[in-house]
Amino acid sequence: MAEELVMPRLSDTMEQGTIGRWLKREGDAFAEGDVLAEIETDKALMEFQAYDSGTVLKILVDDGESADLGAPIALVGEAGEQAPADAGKAEKKPAKKRKREDSAAAEEAAPAPAAREPEAPVRAAAAPSGNGRAGGSAALRVSPIARRMADQAGIDLAPLAGRGSGPEGRIVKADVERLVKDGGAAEQPGGADAPAAAPPAGSELRDLTPMLKAVAARMAHSKQTVPHFYVESEIDMTRALELRKELNDGLDGERVSVNDLIVRACAMALIDHPQAHRSYVDGRHAYHAHADIGIAVALDDGLVVPVLREADTKSVRQISRETKDLVARARDGQLRQREIEGGTFTVSNMGMFDVANFEAIINPPESAILAVGGTVPRAVPVDGDIRVRSLMRVTLSCDHRACSGADGAKLLQSVKRYLQAPSLLLA
Amino acid sequence: MADVTYREALRRALDEELGRDDRVFLMGEEIGRFEGSYKVTAGLWEKYGPRRVRETPISEGGFVGAGIGAAMMGLRPVVEIMTINFILVAMDQVINHAAKIHYMFGGTVAVPMVIRTPGGAGAQLTAQHSQSLEAWFAGTPGMKVVAPSSVADAYGMLKTAIRDDDPVLFCENLVLYNLSGTIPDEDEDYTVPFGKAAVVREGDDLTLVAHSYTVQRALRVADALARDGVETEVIDLRSLRPLDAETVAESVHKTNRALIAEEGWSTYGVGSELAARIHRVCFDDLDAPVERVGQAEVPMPYAKPLELAALPLESKIEAAARNLLADCGVL
Repeated sequence: MAEELVMPRLSDTMEQGTIGRWLKREGDAFAEGDVLAEIETDKALMEFQAYDSGTVLKILVDDGESADLGAPIALVGEAGEQAPADAGKAEKKPAKKRKREDSAAAEEAAPAPAAREPEAPVRAAAAPSGNGRAGGSAALRVSPIARRMADQAGIDLAPLAGRGSGPEGRIVKADVERLVKDGGAAEQPGGADAPAAAPPAGSELRDLTPMLKAVAARMAHSKQTVPHFYVESEIDMTRALELRKELNDGLDGERVSVNDLIVRACAMALIDHPQAHRSYVDGRHAYHAHADIGIAVALDDGLVVPVLREADTKSVRQISRETKDLVARARDGQLRQREIEGGTFTVSNMGMFDVANFEAIINPPESAILAVGGTVPRAVPVDGDIRVRSLMRVTLSCDHRACSGADGAKLLQSVKRYLQAPSLLLA
Repeated sequence: MADVTYREALRRALDEELGRDDRVFLMGEEIGRFEGSYKVTAGLWEKYGPRRVRETPISEGGFVGAGIGAAMMGLRPVVEIMTINFILVAMDQVINHAAKIHYMFGGTVAVPMVIRTPGGAGAQLTAQHSQSLEAWFAGTPGMKVVAPSSVADAYGMLKTAIRDDDPVLFCENLVLYNLSGTIPDEDEDYTVPFGKAAVVREGDDLTLVAHSYTVQRALRVADALARDGVETEVIDLRSLRPLDAETVAESVHKTNRALIAEEGWSTYGVGSELAARIHRVCFDDLDAPVERVGQAEVPMPYAKPLELAALPLESKIEAAARNLLADCGVL
């Protein structure tokens, strides 16, 4: 009996998936655990594994095409079986125009008899993980008029899921009006009912990739709802650079970067300061046991933040190796969902772009991010003398609901202490 | 313009129509010498005589049937049923004859008859004498059902009903008879069309729909909500069949919220029908589900505290409005 294979839920924010490519084509048999296809979610390229064995009878959503969560993407069954005659009907049915807003409904789609569960690690990732991710799986309930107004104003309501003023967190008209008033809409003087502002004549309009959409929504949500404060400092990196040279000279062929030292310093400092290493989640603080450090990686168009797990328990050399692997796979779009979520802190280093200093936007539910500028030689007074030292400017952005200004300052002070006395990084 | 009561407006409409068209005549229990239980026919027996203002035995099935026969033969009877509760013994005549004859005779015979009857509750008349049954008739093809709430509409719509070629159930309300209002002076041609609801108060925040006496309650609820800055649009349906869902939809398009109040039971009521139509036409306009308020789903109790608890009083309508608005983050 032919069964529908539906677009699985591979990340907790995805509403649609794009088939990267099918690894099993029509007529191919597969066994439990085989990778059937690669699916691009809003965050990463994921493998879609078979839950049990069978044969691909018909592919309904081809390479490069998109489908809503829970929408059929292929028919599977026994070898030699014919796809039902009405399969073409399903095939012609395009991804529904209106996005599937109710993620609870999307979740229901997964355990349907015909559905295959995604690979285990992803399934685990979809559940709230141990370090305080919450709210992500709240159902997005929106009143019809609120949905229409948000569509017209170009506002993504997903980040507000479950937090509207209506019953069970339903987002209602008043919520959208407030968002529009607060600038949630793209600076439209006409208000909610005005059509989206037209771009200048001659501009070319292109749709965002799922990843860019996710970045846009997350960053807008963070900057609008997380009360950021900023702490700035200047770190003397002279000794850290010397340590790095010594390590690189000694480690045959392996190259440790300044960023690896910064990640290590941040991890150690975070463990020293639990009050600066906790997330604000629905009125409570989630304290993190380990420093899972996100490392911002710029792509040709966009960015991705792979997470280096338990950096506080790893040596500089181990951090260096794992980071190289994560960055390489990030650039190839080969990261798995579980590798890009669940961080507790992020390091964003733009030193290589000749940046003196900048301020970064927190990546929720993390509560802090360190923006790292370039390291430059500067003349500084040392013990009454003038010396040339390598100075690096850093800015720590903190969520004021998670930590106080003093907590943020102490954390930054520790980072500075470790980097200025870098042998501690090897302790 | 003349300041009159709802009762007097009806009396004038009857008087003018009796004077204008000698095919028009009145029938009912005690409507002549006694001038009707609610005095709507006061003075008409004296003015037009027992041939045009006919007293009947206590036999609703009999005199409604007589009215249907007279209407089929070309007269224009206006039948009074003392309260809508007594129409139940004439249901076969109303539903199976008055509403069907035009259809059953292939359109060759009409039944231009008006049945005037008051409904409503609130005077401790208990379960059998406190009903608002208009929705039953409004659900029957072949009938027209109107329920004016204002003095001017009572006057204009009764004249329209008498001139209409279909059987019309003209719903009055015991509590409305003493309502004051203005009507035009002696205007033979003043009529109010059926199938056109009236926006009796404008507002942007909530559409509150009602008919008959409940419109008066709705206006008081709107006053109360206005004190908290909420502007309620109150719509008087006036006519239940044909039903003017367009005016309601236009309002909901603006307010995004709808509440329907009625004196009868909500279940299978006027609000049920309207809610279905609003959801159909205004689905993308809604900020919350359409809500309804009606009589408690019980036979009307006799005891005063229980009667008050069962009636769709202002307090209940206002509470429903506030709940709905709170669900929308307003109030």
